[in-house]
Amino acid sequence: MGQLVRQFVAGIYNLVVGLLTTGKHLGRHAVTIQYPKERWTMPERSRGMVVLLTDEESGLLNCTACLLCMRACPSGAIEIETAEDEKGKRVRYPKGFTLNYHICCFCGLCEESCTFAAIKLTPKYEFPEWDSQKLIWDRDKLQEMGRDVKYESRERKKGPDERIEAAALADGRPVPPEILERKAAEEKAKAEAKAKAAEKAKAEAQAKKEEASGTSEATGSKAESPEKKVDDSKEDTPS
Amino acid sequence: MELAPIFTWLYNRLLTVGLGLELTDIISLAALAVIVFGFLSVMALFLVWWERKFAGHIQQRFGPMMTGWHGVLQTIADAVKLIQKEDIVPAAADRKVFFWAPVIVFVCSFAAYVVIPFGNGLIVSDLNIGILYVIAITTFTIISLLMAGWASNNKYALLGGMRSAAQAVSYEVPMVLAVLGVVLVTGSMSMNDIVKGQSAWGGFHWNIVFQPLGFLIYIIAATAESNRTPFDIPEAEQELVAGYNVEYSGMKFAMFFLAEFVNMFTLSAVATTLFLGGWNGPLLPSWVWFLIKTLGMVLVFMMFRWTYPRLRVDQLMEFAWKALVPLAFVNLIYVGIMARWVNW
Repeated sequence: MGQLVRQFVAGIYNLVVGLLTTGKHLGRHAVTIQYPKERWTMPERSRGMVVLLTDEESGLLNCTACLLCMRACPSGAIEIETAEDEKGKRVRYPKGFTLNYHICCFCGLCEESCTFAAIKLTPKYEFPEWDSQKLIWDRDKLQEMGRDVKYESRERKKGPDERIEAAALADGRPVPPEILERKAAEEKAKAEAKAKAAEKAKAEAQAKKEEASGTSEATGSKAESPEKKVDDSKEDTPS
Repeated sequence: MELAPIFTWLYNRLLTVGLGLELTDIISLAALAVIVFGFLSVMALFLVWWERKFAGHIQQRFGPMMTGWHGVLQTIADAVKLIQKEDIVPAAADRKVFFWAPVIVFVCSFAAYVVIPFGNGLIVSDLNIGILYVIAITTFTIISLLMAGWASNNKYALLGGMRSAAQAVSYEVPMVLAVLGVVLVTGSMSMNDIVKGQSAWGGFHWNIVFQPLGFLIYIIAATAESNRTPFDIPEAEQELVAGYNVEYSGMKFAMFFLAEFVNMFTLSAVATTLFLGGWNGPLLPSWVWFLIKTLGMVLVFMMFRWTYPRLRVDQLMEFAWKALVPLAFVNLIYVGIMARWVNW
């Protein structure tokens, strides 16, 4: 009997505690918002719409068509079309960049893999479409949506000329002549510098040869000259 | 401002206009029916909205917000939508029973208001068996729920209807025993007499003060009667989809839905009348006191609904027969002794 009474009292107490709990929640402010009227400001690094970033200086994409994001994408949502110049070398600018939002899982691996700050997941989340085909975005659309995105641009070794040329090649447009001129001048200067350096090296080698007269030095100079040639070729290739 | 004198004045005006006594009575009763019906319809719509808002705020949401001020017109919009809907009858349904079930539940839940005293003199008909009439007529809704469950020819509906009937029959017993305590003290079954019996102490001589156990039993049984959570196994969504009204749509569903809320209001009104002093109260008009107390009771029922988890079927039956019925008898004996020797 005593236990029964104790149970009864405990039961009533628990019921009252339950009522107090709901009463407490009743007084609190709602955690939801009236969505179409109000909107969350999403966190800066939340993963929403994927966009391509544009370089402010040249107005061109940062993308170099290196295909890293395409390889990193676990769902295969990214498809990059590359172009080749007349020498058969891959142009460092995407000819086509397609992002399929049907299968994009917003994992952010493309952004992680990108070494050029070219692709980014933004906090934007409202881009539904009535037509599902409109969810497959091409390069221009991705660029357009990324125009107002703030980001930290990477330091570039080379000026905008190279980018403009690559973009022109990728799109099949003629390269602006002033850029070609500038490039030609640069190449000429480079060649001259190279020739000068070669001459200088030759002179130095000659001096060395004259300085040290013996059989053993001849092999040393032989070993030196091919090493220099390797260095030169490294400088030639644009990185 | 009391409303009863206005009605009396209107009645006398009708008499003096020159209509016969019979015709005046018919007109006034019809007008009363329309008034009560209108009041209850508005009240049911309001309660649906209130419950949704209340549920929302308990769960830290807003509830309806878009239609009208904080969504007050939401239930009206819903009702309009339900009226527009196609009236679907399942092919295998028992058409006649299927049709009459919502009608009966609707009529029965509204018929209880014949004897509810809304205020001083604001009672449609002061029957001398008032409380018995209320219990009888509200029990009638269970038959219609069983009809709905049976006629739908759907296993979920049938299970819901069966459970509803079993539950209501079980909880009817402690409820009536709790009511009996009040009748014992008052010495009358008339609702008006019960209210007037609590008018001492400046309108605060409430039965709840003397029979707290009876009030508790009544509240629990009433929650079970109105098929509300913790006792909502007849419409347990997780098990039965929606219970007896699975197959109903459109206007018939709306009738079930509104009847449910009218029933809740009835049970709150009866609780107010029996235990909370009815329309007794200082300063404010009697009908305002009645509304305040009744809506307070409704609030308690809503609070129950959004706080407590559902009971299992066997727990439900066990609770009714092993706990509530003995407690109700204890209460009855206690009230009998007190009424005889202490004389409140």
